[in-house]
Amino acid sequence: MKNILYLARKEFSSYFHTWQGVFLTLFFFLVSGLFFSLLILGYAKMSMGQMGEQLAQAGVNQTDYIFGSFFMNLSTLLIFIAPVLTMRGFAEERRDQTLELLFTYPLSDREIVLGKFLGQVWMFELLCVPLLGYGLVAQLAGADFDWRVVLLAFVGFWILGLAYLSLGFFISTLTKSPVLSAVATFGVFLIFWVLEWASKVSDGWIAQFFQEVSPLDHYRYFTMGQIHFQHAGYFVLTIFFFLTMSVMSISTRNWKSS
Amino acid sequence: MAQILQVEDVSKKFASRLAVNQLTLSISSGEIVGFLGPNGAGKTTAMRMICGFFPPSSGRILIDGVDIQQEPTTAKKMIGYLPETVSLYGDMRVVEYLNFVAAVKGVGFLSRAKAVKEKIEQCGLGDVSKRLIGRLSKGFKQRVGLAQALLGDPKLLVLDEPTSGLDPKQISDIRALIHGLKKDRAVLFSTHILPEVSMLCSRVVMLDQGRVLASGTVEELEAHLSEDFQIQVTILGRSKTTEAVHVLQGIEGLKDIHFVVAESEQVVLTCRAPAQLEFRNVITERLSKQGISVIEIKREQLTLEEIFLRLLK
Repeated sequence: MKNILYLARKEFSSYFHTWQGVFLTLFFFLVSGLFFSLLILGYAKMSMGQMGEQLAQAGVNQTDYIFGSFFMNLSTLLIFIAPVLTMRGFAEERRDQTLELLFTYPLSDREIVLGKFLGQVWMFELLCVPLLGYGLVAQLAGADFDWRVVLLAFVGFWILGLAYLSLGFFISTLTKSPVLSAVATFGVFLIFWVLEWASKVSDGWIAQFFQEVSPLDHYRYFTMGQIHFQHAGYFVLTIFFFLTMSVMSISTRNWKSS
Repeated sequence: MAQILQVEDVSKKFASRLAVNQLTLSISSGEIVGFLGPNGAGKTTAMRMICGFFPPSSGRILIDGVDIQQEPTTAKKMIGYLPETVSLYGDMRVVEYLNFVAAVKGVGFLSRAKAVKEKIEQCGLGDVSKRLIGRLSKGFKQRVGLAQALLGDPKLLVLDEPTSGLDPKQISDIRALIHGLKKDRAVLFSTHILPEVSMLCSRVVMLDQGRVLASGTVEELEAHLSEDFQIQVTILGRSKTTEAVHVLQGIEGLKDIHFVVAESEQVVLTCRAPAQLEFRNVITERLSKQGISVIEIKREQLTLEEIFLRLLK
């Protein structure tokens, strides 16, 4: 366990050895802050006009409108952020040939994968910290949120992030090029995004299939303040699957020449 | 002396290519063993297996009696490895990187700072300890590589071409460092610089196409290769040349006797003697008896290059 933490600390701090970590954090804060402000302003404008009544009739309250949309927008932002976070994982180490030494230290492949993944998760969590702050500021300014829904949506975003990171992390074990890793990860996320869209325009068993495989469909329930075993299980299994695949991928050095 | 490394009948196959073929090798504490071979001989593959980078296809590797495949973490704690291409985290500072390595190698929190400081001093990194590794010269990077290998005080040091690409001063420093390291550990190192092996190693293992071509001390390899060797006898007095030739002809076993006049009164006689013959005393005694002054008796020694090339033939 100690080794996992040492590796995670090294991985996390490596984001701040260059400007990458700082730029990434600033970009995320800026864009997410912009989303939140626009949603607050949009809701304020609507609630004062006729649309306010329509929203009330449709049962859409402040929390649903602002945080439901906010977290769905964040999931789109994550499509851009997660590949940048994960491309460093293994691709960069393979490119720079730093893995050779790492593999000869007294660490198991599982510890290496979990340590590096945990470092990336810490970086992602650092990005998540101000999200709750936005809600608190709005609350202080007079907004009235259902905090149970907000917290569940937040948990949903966190677990969606972990699933995305695990997939990007696995892809980074497959290539020596960080750029290729980021592009491939982004490509897979785009497919997820299309799947969610496809599940809406199709029907019958096809729609059902798309809903089952699309992470965004499972995530949507969290943003609505609902938690179901099947949706949480989907994410837990996804994370477990891609981390296991990552361990298997790095152990291929046993039969490849380098 | 305790055997630190035992490589038993180890082979490594990549697809259809046999990179290492039934390698057997052992190194005891206090020994420096040189690993020689042309490019592609399997040295790096063998070293990577010894360090647990990947497992052998067959055979087993024991580090101080611990099987590296059965108990990799325990075995790897006893190994310090310097790879051929020393690729370190360029965006980390030297001291930060060494602290990380010490931590994963299991150096306790309380003794970590002291251990890192000690290795920094030992490897002459004091002036650059706060600098980013990526901005260091190749020589300093090599020292950082060596420092990380030494952390955790491993019983076995595996150094893959530790002096390649360094300037003469750096080479000399690293050699001195390696020589000082053998005291209480086993060292296996590969190099292309053959005189380096003669200088540092107690034993040599020569590899070619994945198999051991020869192993032993430089003298053993030489004796194994040459049935007889050349002797040079320098005497004083040109007038004594014919007499000296007769004396040498009278010693059983010496053959192909020739002479050349070196300078002024010195004459150099050459002959061939069987490897097992103790010739030096006999020649001196017989020539002295005839009143011939012997200035020098030299035995021609094969260089490691010559041994290496002859073995490869």
